[in-house]
Amino acid sequence: MSRRVRIGLVLGLGALAAGCAEDAPQDMWQPAGPNAQSIADLSWLVFVLAGIVGVIVLTFVAIIVVKFRDRGQAIPDQVHGKPTLEIVLTIIPALILIGVAIPTVGTLMALNDTSDTECVINVTGQQWWWEIDYPTQEGCGSGISEPIITSGQMVIPINTPVLVRGTSRDVIHSWWIPRLNGKRDMVPGRVHTNKLEADEPGIYAGQCTEFCGLSHANMRMEVIAMTPEDFEAWKANQIKPYEAPAPDTLAAAGEQTYIAQCSRCHQVNGLEDADGDPIISRPDLSVYSGAAPNLSWLMTRNTFAGASFDLLSPACRPEVWQAPPETVGQEYLKGVTPECLNSVQLREWLRNAPAMKPMYTDPEKLEPTDGLVRGMPNLALSEDQIDELVAYLLERK
Amino acid sequence: MFTTGSKFLIGSAVIATVTAIAYGVTQDGVMGTIGLASAAIVLWFLAVLNLFIRDSNYWADEISSIDTAPAAVRAPVNTVWPFAFAFSAAVFAVGLVTYQAVFVIGVVLLLVTGAEWTAEAWAHRASADVSHNADVRDRIANPLEFPLAAAIGIGIVVYAFSRVMLWLSKTSTVVAFSVLGAIIITLAFLFAYRPKVSSKAAAVVIGVGALGLIAGGAAAGLSGERDIEQHETTEGLAEEGVDICTSPEEFEADEKASQTVAATAAVAATITLGADGELTYELNGPSAQGADGITLPRSNPNNIVFRNDSGEHRRLSASLGTEVVEEDGVEEERPFYVCTALVDDGGVQNITMSVALPSVTAEDGYFFFVPGVDTARLNLLVP
Repeated sequence: MSRRVRIGLVLGLGALAAGCAEDAPQDMWQPAGPNAQSIADLSWLVFVLAGIVGVIVLTFVAIIVVKFRDRGQAIPDQVHGKPTLEIVLTIIPALILIGVAIPTVGTLMALNDTSDTECVINVTGQQWWWEIDYPTQEGCGSGISEPIITSGQMVIPINTPVLVRGTSRDVIHSWWIPRLNGKRDMVPGRVHTNKLEADEPGIYAGQCTEFCGLSHANMRMEVIAMTPEDFEAWKANQIKPYEAPAPDTLAAAGEQTYIAQCSRCHQVNGLEDADGDPIISRPDLSVYSGAAPNLSWLMTRNTFAGASFDLLSPACRPEVWQAPPETVGQEYLKGVTPECLNSVQLREWLRNAPAMKPMYTDPEKLEPTDGLVRGMPNLALSEDQIDELVAYLLERK
Repeated sequence: MFTTGSKFLIGSAVIATVTAIAYGVTQDGVMGTIGLASAAIVLWFLAVLNLFIRDSNYWADEISSIDTAPAAVRAPVNTVWPFAFAFSAAVFAVGLVTYQAVFVIGVVLLLVTGAEWTAEAWAHRASADVSHNADVRDRIANPLEFPLAAAIGIGIVVYAFSRVMLWLSKTSTVVAFSVLGAIIITLAFLFAYRPKVSSKAAAVVIGVGALGLIAGGAAAGLSGERDIEQHETTEGLAEEGVDICTSPEEFEADEKASQTVAATAAVAATITLGADGELTYELNGPSAQGADGITLPRSNPNNIVFRNDSGEHRRLSASLGTEVVEEDGVEEERPFYVCTALVDDGGVQNITMSVALPSVTAEDGYFFFVPGVDTARLNLLVP
């Protein structure tokens, strides 16, 4: 075997092996729901057809290159025009394209049909995280009696077609959970729809797929699919009343620190000031997009900062993320315990968020946005304040 | 045409210029930009000088060569560009101490006259043949001169045209430009059917027309624009505290209000007032069954389309709690509404509303309503 052949074989096998990655959470070739399945089926059809065409064309090219290579022979007669051959070579690609177009159009129309959805969830993109809210409705299992608002992680019941109604507060973003459906652009001022359905419980990763600025690569999201029973438990948890920390605890001090430092932008539902008035955040006064993640039940999620960082420590993360479908819902519902908190990154974030995720928060460079930040600024918190806030946030579940 | 040394220096100068611009635009470093710009200026100077002397390299003791060097040879014809360049320099200097606009004009004139002078001086030394030199000059200069002259000419015509249009009253504008259009068409017709009309006559007509337009533009520009009446809007009236959003009556802002919306797809919701006085809504995709209203994201520009099928003129209003306004230094809390103008029966209008506070902050929550129709009410939830 010649050296060239051996090198070619190594490169070819290497390329082949690269397609066999096991840890590929955003692999559209591993569909986990009917919508993604129909996309995968269509992709396989096109892939196989294109592959056959490619092999035939390359084979002919190889034959021609070898058989008619220059060996000093005379140049053959030059023939111009062969109508039969030209017509055949036009009709064959046309038939192939028609053959591809029919299932493609059918799949697109089926994916666009949202009339069979049973649960409505609103998604709003902004630089660089996703807000997810559940309007009141009879759908989504037993119904939703009051709005639920969260971010980064969308929780859905399995075997339920979910309608995502998406928009954006600043620039165009694109919502894509590859294992559940194709992507959908989220455009300011417009509401676009996307249908999601998961066959079995699990955590399905995705990320923004429309370049949206500095931290586009850090704008991630997950869909958590769980059994209807687990989903009901999750909903109930999301609308339970606020519970203030026990007096004279670190968390109680954290509540005051939160009110002083964080409540300008972040909302915690039910939080009240000393006069008993609800504390309503005003992110529109500080943030370019006009919104910041709702932290009411932060520790029921397991990622933060646009799903860029884990709230679960590396030791605990696999217990949820690698849990089998039978237990993933229950594991997720446990939320983040003090023992499992990824306190290193959470503290780092509170210490200096822009150092962890590129954002536009430098006060000297905010002239184009009239002083409004895009992302979370460095709040210059003391280590004591960080300890208090971590203690307070740990109770948000 | 270009000598070897000149090519090198021109290339270096272009690279230095581009780098200076790119660095200056993308980086904050002032010193770096100054350094690169200085390098560009020096390289351009050397390039022009070298181009002028055509890479000449004579020893000081080669008297005969010095006498025949291109730099020593007088140009075969006189040129006006040194005078123009000097005038530009004067404008530039005056601009430095007077107005920014004069300064900018001076810079532009310096660049243009400098380029023209350079091109002509370089071409004049190509040979002793004046006509050949003129060809050489045109070959290098015309590809730049023609598009630039066309752009400037079109710009002047458009600007003068716009000044005249803005000076005339709306009615006069229609009359004046109908007449002008008719004259242009007539002249074009005459020229088309009389191809033997001399080019001089055509040039005179076009010249007179252009001069008239420029003179008219200048006069109109100095006279200023006509008074353009600001039409009141529902938003403006609501901000002024006028109760337009709670009234079924017609206001000035309702007159001539558009009754159609160009883009009705992918809006947050379409709300319809039916003949029965009820508000119904449609969303993009199926509605959340059982919802007692519309849920919209907070701090988001939501487009709501209102369709009036009630048989009467109606507006859609949204009650969004209260707002604090400052009047004469005194803060006052008052109800906050947004609304459409009055919509004819069968008409459609759009409201773009961005709500900063969640609906729980309003005592009665947020809701849509139609002034004058008590049964028309639809809850709005902002989480």
